[in-house]
Amino acid sequence: MHDKNFMRETLLQGAQAFQAGKMERRSFLALCGMAGFASASVLAGRAEAAAAEIVMWNWGGQSEECHQSAIGAAFTKDTGIPLKFDTSGPLQGKIKEMVDSGHVTADVCDADLFDAVALGKTGHLEALDYSVIDKTKTVDGYALEFGISIILYGYAFMYDTQAYPDGPPTSWADFFDTAKFPGTRSLYKWANGSLEAALMADGVEKDKLYPLDIDRAIKKITAIKADTIYWGSGSEAHDMIVNGEVTMGMVWQNRGRSIETDTNGRFKLVMNQALAMPGAYIVPKGNPGGADVMKFIATAQSVPAQLDLFACLGMTPTNPEAIAQMAEVDQPYSITSAANMPLVALNDPTWWGENTDAAVNAFLAAIS
Amino acid sequence: MRLPVNSGWLLVLPFLLLVGGLFLGPILNVLWISVTDPALGLENYAQLGSSDTLRRILWTTLRVCLICTAFSVVLGYWIAYAMVHAKGPAQSRMLGLLLVSFWISVLVRTFSWLMLLGRNGVVNSGLESLGIISAPIPFMRNELGVLIGMVHYMVPYAVLPIFAAMQSIDGRVVQASRSLGGSGAQTFWRIYLPLTKPGLVAASLLVFIINLGFYVIPAVLGGGKVLMVAEYISVQVLVTLQWGTAAMLAAILLFGVLALMFLMSRFMKLSTVFGGART
Repeated sequence: MHDKNFMRETLLQGAQAFQAGKMERRSFLALCGMAGFASASVLAGRAEAAAAEIVMWNWGGQSEECHQSAIGAAFTKDTGIPLKFDTSGPLQGKIKEMVDSGHVTADVCDADLFDAVALGKTGHLEALDYSVIDKTKTVDGYALEFGISIILYGYAFMYDTQAYPDGPPTSWADFFDTAKFPGTRSLYKWANGSLEAALMADGVEKDKLYPLDIDRAIKKITAIKADTIYWGSGSEAHDMIVNGEVTMGMVWQNRGRSIETDTNGRFKLVMNQALAMPGAYIVPKGNPGGADVMKFIATAQSVPAQLDLFACLGMTPTNPEAIAQMAEVDQPYSITSAANMPLVALNDPTWWGENTDAAVNAFLAAIS
Repeated sequence: MRLPVNSGWLLVLPFLLLVGGLFLGPILNVLWISVTDPALGLENYAQLGSSDTLRRILWTTLRVCLICTAFSVVLGYWIAYAMVHAKGPAQSRMLGLLLVSFWISVLVRTFSWLMLLGRNGVVNSGLESLGIISAPIPFMRNELGVLIGMVHYMVPYAVLPIFAAMQSIDGRVVQASRSLGGSGAQTFWRIYLPLTKPGLVAASLLVFIINLGFYVIPAVLGGGKVLMVAEYISVQVLVTLQWGTAAMLAAILLFGVLALMFLMSRFMKLSTVFGGART
């Protein structure tokens, strides 16, 4: 991924130099050729010129196919507008850079709701049009001015059933108890979810987490530091568990089901005290596709799209109608099911949108 | 008509413009951000004095880079020595193997190390089944893991400049030393090693400088606990949006490397290190 980003940035700079007349067309094309990116950059160029397509900026891999089949197909059928993808991962810094540079090539980012709070405040996002998008088709409190939650993902943990044959861990308190449950653990290394888990383990009620007491959480986390390793990506979290590097590991909840299935139930997902995270759609300021992107977001709220995303990626629906139509077998893996909803904690995007820098840096300082 | 400057510059001009536009511009921009974001002044640099975390991250980076450079250069010297003294086809085979390992993607290497030396990796499970160890040795997800991964990545970079320096040594000086009564060890320490010094310095500089920017290997093999400056910069740019801090650290790296090259230039001609004309 790093190499891909580097290539992308090299090309972007090349494209800027080309536009500014600092670079010959030939040299620019040669650069494109060298980077093996000719077609991608030409496509990106067209995306800027034509408003007749919607570009979704997401994380690629399976999620590209799933978004295309779950939302893109229906959206193109209704509007005639094709859905294209930029799969380089819409992190806050990249969105900010794209908007600041004036070369906005994406219409909608598959991001977090706290990104909507942070980047909305600084003027990097378009306000959503709630005459097209339906505020009621999401979880209470997750329809904000600059972003709306389309799906929920979450932070939960999994454990190795063979490591704890008599009495498995059932809560974050057990997860942080290395005396009662020995073994290595894994946590997410960019603070999100890890801080909340530590606070719940320390006895904070799940609906009284915010504002987070960062110092208290860090104290709990450093107490088990010698028994903890930290992951930065979903696949890393997955590998740590199935390769036996940890006996208990935090995961993105939507991946839990496939890990259970792939290992014939050796590793089990614990939904108690999982932290529900609002995955949100946000629109970079000055997006090339204009207002049509609002229709795309509305399509993503529809019941079939929501259920397809769950089937394809394991992401929990937010539209109450879709929640009501979930199949019985799927309910244990859905954050919003009647059985799970009383167990989970809900992330506060406003707190994270305003405190990400302090929280992440305190966490990194503690674990490194 | 006679041009006021050497016409050779005209040939180089397009490349100078390319370097100016694509390289110097962004670097100046980074330096600018480091003194203007969030406010004009040297506040970002003042953090170096006030933040234990920043100092610790820089120290981790320096320590890991120095250790890695030392191991890479010693191993590289060893391999280059064997290569120089190998005969024709054997030498090409060795060079071929070296280049193949040079080209393997850093991600492939990283995950291969996890499979080999991870908790349930080939080595640990092998040793356990032989009864040599009772609990897995923690090779990975710590600083040792980072060092193993980085040294493995950097050895080819160390070999090539040293190999080039060794190839250019006139074999007769070694014979002369022996014929004048020098022992093998004396000849190596007093004749051969000093003659390969430019190659050694070039290899050390190259390895150290590339090490400073390592990102993937520490991030994955360090298990989150070995935070080096490149990863920290990336988090500050992408996640916490503290671009001033990130730019300041990037500037520190840049000036660190420049200072290192300046120091080196006091002791030897940099042009010989980088293969320029010998004078």
